[in-house]
Amino acid sequence: MSDGVKQLFEERLGRYQAAIALEPHDRIPIATGTNYFAEIYSGNTKQETIYDPEKWLQAEIKFCQDFPEVDVLRDNRIYGPLFDALDVKTYKLPGRDLPPNTQFQFVEQEYMKADEYSALIDDPSGFLMEVWLPRILGELARRGTGRSYVAMLKAGMAQMMLGGIMRNRGMVLEQQYGMPQPMSGFFLAPFDALADSMRGMTGALLDVFRQPDKVLAACDALVQEMAHVALSTADPLKRYPIFVPTHKAIFMSPEQFDKFYWPSFKKVMNILIESGYTIRAYLEGDWRKYWGHMREMPKGKVLCDIDTQGDIFQAKKDLEGYQCIAGGVQDSMLILGTPDQVREHVRELCQRVGKGGGYIVSAGCSFPYDTKPENFRAMIDVVTEYGRHDAGVKAKPKPTPPAGRVEALEPRRLFTPWEVKKTELGQIMGDENLIMKNWEQLEAMAHTFMWQWTL
Amino acid sequence: MGSLAQALTDLEEQKVYELVEQKISEGEGVLKIISELNEGMVNVGERFSSGEYFISQLIFSAEILKHVMTKLEPLLSKVEAGQTSGKVVIGTVKGDIHDIGKNIVTTLLNGSGFDVTDLGVDVPSEKFVEALKETGAKVLGLSALLNFTYPEMKSVVDEVERAGLRDQVKIVIGGAPCNEQVREFTGADFYAKDAIAGVNYCKEVYQ
Repeated sequence: MSDGVKQLFEERLGRYQAAIALEPHDRIPIATGTNYFAEIYSGNTKQETIYDPEKWLQAEIKFCQDFPEVDVLRDNRIYGPLFDALDVKTYKLPGRDLPPNTQFQFVEQEYMKADEYSALIDDPSGFLMEVWLPRILGELARRGTGRSYVAMLKAGMAQMMLGGIMRNRGMVLEQQYGMPQPMSGFFLAPFDALADSMRGMTGALLDVFRQPDKVLAACDALVQEMAHVALSTADPLKRYPIFVPTHKAIFMSPEQFDKFYWPSFKKVMNILIESGYTIRAYLEGDWRKYWGHMREMPKGKVLCDIDTQGDIFQAKKDLEGYQCIAGGVQDSMLILGTPDQVREHVRELCQRVGKGGGYIVSAGCSFPYDTKPENFRAMIDVVTEYGRHDAGVKAKPKPTPPAGRVEALEPRRLFTPWEVKKTELGQIMGDENLIMKNWEQLEAMAHTFMWQWTL
Repeated sequence: MGSLAQALTDLEEQKVYELVEQKISEGEGVLKIISELNEGMVNVGERFSSGEYFISQLIFSAEILKHVMTKLEPLLSKVEAGQTSGKVVIGTVKGDIHDIGKNIVTTLLNGSGFDVTDLGVDVPSEKFVEALKETGAKVLGLSALLNFTYPEMKSVVDEVERAGLRDQVKIVIGGAPCNEQVREFTGADFYAKDAIAGVNYCKEVYQ
């Protein structure tokens, strides 16, 4: 990496980290969580993004070249071949089930039945493998067949390929364009894990009325799984926040939120923060009644994405001095507005919400696919003009926090723990630790792989 | 307020079921029972609008109502079943496959006595027009969750115009990415900020 690029990378990362930490920095970062616009700005179809990693990277490179004022870049997370290998039922993909230029979409259904809570609570991973995954992975429903074994093998390979693609992307963006990521790694609030891809929204919300104890126990049971998925997928250098998109909170009454959504969500977040990470939480929808809870979290550790339906000015009032907020630019403004309207809109955001820092320019956690390029340019120009805090401050990236034992994090519930395998092996002739370490590493990877389908 | 309306208003599920059973066995008219249930749903809607209830409570009330209606509908005579507050066509526009919001609106409209033609998700504009012609509905509801659907909503409005139905049909848009700017762009008549606002608009149109 050339000195100039390294400097640019550190300047952007330092600015981004300082904003999150509520520390001084030179200007408001332009740092959305998911930059859909960047994905297709080069002219790619949405299908090409998810099926052709080279074209995807080229799109990101073109974006970096044309909009160097942007501070972080991350967009697509879907790798089509992996979804095909497993026959994933929870998504419809562009070019496959949808026209090539339509965005991917989540298919929510009742994949877990109302009377299956006990199985989930007693043995989350067992329930996952035996009951739930075969319902959402078509190939796993054919298990026992040769085709199913080959499918799982292909899926494992596709996952490794995706790992390689993501590593390469990160390296190219960092080392050639000095571009950091807005986040790395993901998890769901336990209630969302239950409500998104297991019970579905209607099912989960009815359960809140009809079997509240089961819902609570299930959320508790999912805390450890979500924490492990988050930590396994996070940036080992802890430079970037771990991402959590929240989905169902806003449909609950504040009392329901306090009881069913927040406690287990907070537990997962605390484990991650204690592990040395920050979190980027997409507060989807209008979170006004709930975001006050983020004041309970350690200051400057949870970057809160305020959605288009949320009132960013109110969020500033409620969270100032506690957590950094991102958002404010209306999706409809970027898609339908004129550059003059965008300039006026973003100038107001910079002056009112940007005042005193703790603010990141973004739309509702993403920049929309259909953003007009001239509107995007207008937004950036206004931020560089009106978003200055203190040009003299050059925030440096933070050193990696030390790894320590986190009390609240329990050992992972592996599918086949070493003790089971050891019994099967009988007497071990050589170094047991050497065998065990590798066994557990692969088991941990399999655990993350299986649980990622809750997202 | 009757005890049934009260029980539904307070979301006391079992009590609603018991009272309905009791009223049926006592020979109370089905239409009278339904009208009390409607009163309960109106109250739930009012609690929602005032911020006392949230979507979860709307969904629960709709679920209770749906369950009760499966019991009551077979007991309705043909004439009684034909009485409606008005007809509404609704659907999620082409390209978008999300239906939770639309389903809530549909159930609430049913609960208010509307005859709803729900076209489902990913509905092309010509389907909307076809349904409007067939039903003669005066309200068309367009739902969306994703913001790429703005042009599609507009094209439905244009298609209704081309079919010569525009002055007979009020078009409502709703869903997370909608706002006044989007309504203006699409040429729709009304932006419903939530399900209850949509239902109230339908009532206004048919008043």
